[in-house]
Amino acid sequence: MTTARTMERNATQILERIKESLDRLNEKMEVMIEIQKHSEKADQGIPDVLDVMTLLSLPDHLRKTAVTISRLGNATAEEVAEQTKRARAVESGYLNQLVLMGYLKKERRGRKAFFCVEKET
Amino acid sequence: MGKIIALHSYKGGTGKTLISVNLAAMHASKGESVCLLDMDFRAPSLHAAFKTNSTEYWLNDYLNGACEIKKVLIDLTQTHTGKGRFLVGLANPTTEAIREMSAKDRKWEMKALGRLLSLKTSLLNDMRLDYVILDTSPGLQYSSINGIVSADVVLVVTSIDASDIEGTQRMIHELYELFDKKTFLIMNKVPIEMLSSKTEKRSLSRKLVTAYNLPLLEVIPCFCDILRAGGTQIFAIEKPDHPFIKILGTIATKTKHF
Repeated sequence: MTTARTMERNATQILERIKESLDRLNEKMEVMIEIQKHSEKADQGIPDVLDVMTLLSLPDHLRKTAVTISRLGNATAEEVAEQTKRARAVESGYLNQLVLMGYLKKERRGRKAFFCVEKET
Repeated sequence: MGKIIALHSYKGGTGKTLISVNLAAMHASKGESVCLLDMDFRAPSLHAAFKTNSTEYWLNDYLNGACEIKKVLIDLTQTHTGKGRFLVGLANPTTEAIREMSAKDRKWEMKALGRLLSLKTSLLNDMRLDYVILDTSPGLQYSSINGIVSADVVLVVTSIDASDIEGTQRMIHELYELFDKKTFLIMNKVPIEMLSSKTEKRSLSRKLVTAYNLPLLEVIPCFCDILRAGGTQIFAIEKPDHPFIKILGTIATKTKHF
């Protein structure tokens, strides 16, 4: 009888310990899910990739410049202006704006500035 | 210089592939050089339409940067039209390839856009093709929008379904217009009784143009014999005098001037 009671007490203790472990695991999972949610939001907030969904979200004047530079790959403001039929100075302004937004890379070669879609580092 | 034409729709099953295949075959049978590309990586279908999947490289490989576009293209000139150059680029239909394409990230999609945009140089300038036809996947997803951005003209195929028309309307204003794309609407699979007389056809066209403000190009009736063929025949080659092909001829003439 005593043995049976001891076994029952042990089983209860084991079950309680399992429950405690599961509770701790659950808490950890919840924390991990929260961290992941926040990091996903942060990732979405980094404007680094000029994909079509990003192109859709840009204002009209910048979209035209961005599509042109995606087509040309690597170009000066003058070459972009030739395609968009807008003034060189206007395109230069828009390209620099896209550089500031993190979508384009700017490189100086001699006196000329070249713009290109940011590649994977 | 040639043109890149993207066939797109809001919903699936509107007849994009049927129109793409026959439009391409029709141009080739007239002696023009055409390249037809399967841009529907989630549900590839051109390999079935041309009964071929014996290719070393797929369009997926080109977009992955694994090969040049010439390696992907299959020359069907001799077997299909015997006149103009008829090239086809297939999407890999294996489940593994579909799964892989669905899991691509934004950076990959950006590079894929760059490679699609460069087709204008490789296919139209270097290979001197008259038409590149992109058969895209329905709705708003990366592969179809990449195709639209790369195209000169977009042909949107819709059915008579109200939700399809509503979605098409939205895409015109919130997608094609944003990319300055010349867009035309083709209403396909219209029940024949709605087009039984010229007056009825005109009334339907007027409704689409004025009430829905859609850039309607043509209305295509539902042809039972085409449905019965189940995509096993290319009507532009086998039955070039079929009324469906005559309508495609009108579409080709109208789009040629843009």
